[in-house]
Amino acid sequence: MKVIVRSLVIALAVSGAVATSFANAAPAKATLSAKTSAMPTPTCPPGEPNGCGLGQW
Amino acid sequence: MRYPQLVQGVRARVTSISLIGLLGYLEVVLCVVALCVLIGKKQWADYAALGCFLAVRIFSDVVLTSLNHLAVASRQRAVVLYYPYFYTYWISFAVESILALIVVYSVFKLAMAPLKGLQTLGMLVFKWAAGISIAVALGNTFAPHMTGTGYLVAAISQLQRTQSILTLCLLLFVCFAIRPMGLSFSSRIFGVSLGLGMMATNDLIHSAWLVLYPHQMQTAYNVINGVVICVILSTWTAYFAVPEPKRRIIVLPTTSPFLRWNQISQALGDSPGFVAVGGVPPELFAPAELEVMRRASLKMVTPFPPQSETRLTASRAV
Repeated sequence: MKVIVRSLVIALAVSGAVATSFANAAPAKATLSAKTSAMPTPTCPPGEPNGCGLGQW
Repeated sequence: MRYPQLVQGVRARVTSISLIGLLGYLEVVLCVVALCVLIGKKQWADYAALGCFLAVRIFSDVVLTSLNHLAVASRQRAVVLYYPYFYTYWISFAVESILALIVVYSVFKLAMAPLKGLQTLGMLVFKWAAGISIAVALGNTFAPHMTGTGYLVAAISQLQRTQSILTLCLLLFVCFAIRPMGLSFSSRIFGVSLGLGMMATNDLIHSAWLVLYPHQMQTAYNVINGVVICVILSTWTAYFAVPEPKRRIIVLPTTSPFLRWNQISQALGDSPGFVAVGGVPPELFAPAELEVMRRASLKMVTPFPPQSETRLTASRAV
């Protein structure tokens, strides 16, 4: 049990570190983040002609 | 279009819509359940920040779902509805990030409660680390020709990344120091940390995903996000619903670094005593105190022998 939980926690931490390094290596000036939620992420600035596709799901 | 094709297309669309929609509804329901269990089990005093986090999440999810449904009902209003959707999403995200930082802080405080010295020292270090990280996150987002909304989104993204890294550090600490603190993997402190850790990892992976698909509002990751948040909320609900095992008596060997550092940290926090070195007028003392001091000085100071006696003793010795 102890080994399983520790392995899970280490896996979470390593995944987070790898994802951070991947996002930091991106050529974009500022990388976006988003909530852990089923709600769609509004990635476009306000005033997009089609409302960034809001309501199209 | 033939009927089977039409039916197949409609079914596929309905399935994808209903899956994301269902996950959205399930998220709201699980948030409400988790909050009710937290309050019902009288854990608000210890986990107030988590309760506020859940309350903000419920409010923002209800508003965002309503706006989405309004946009589905009339596509013409999608551009107008996107404004409140955008600001509700990002402002609630910022509030949630700050509340998650406070949750991490309170979890650390609870975990370290038996070791008061280390708790004080750790909280001091945490405050400084969090303050500097927030300042760096806000400062890093400045860039030439950046609009107000661009700055808002970039600053919140940086803040969230900072909070995620701090959360993962806390999870690692709680996981490996759980036994010396008298806790077990069934403790609520571990359950809350595990949920926060899963959320932090998912946030960081989603952030990397958005590098590949920067301007898409709906991606396949929304489904993963929905599943992950439901798992996290279920974990919290389960940990709060099940009775928590009592904290074990903490027995540490005398050579334990935890014990040693705790003693050092406790001594670091002590306020120093003060000694009057000089310039103390006798009027400051009470007559009884003066009398005690006079008698003590009489006992302590042995009178010197006369000068002639001293010389005689010295010549005899020679």
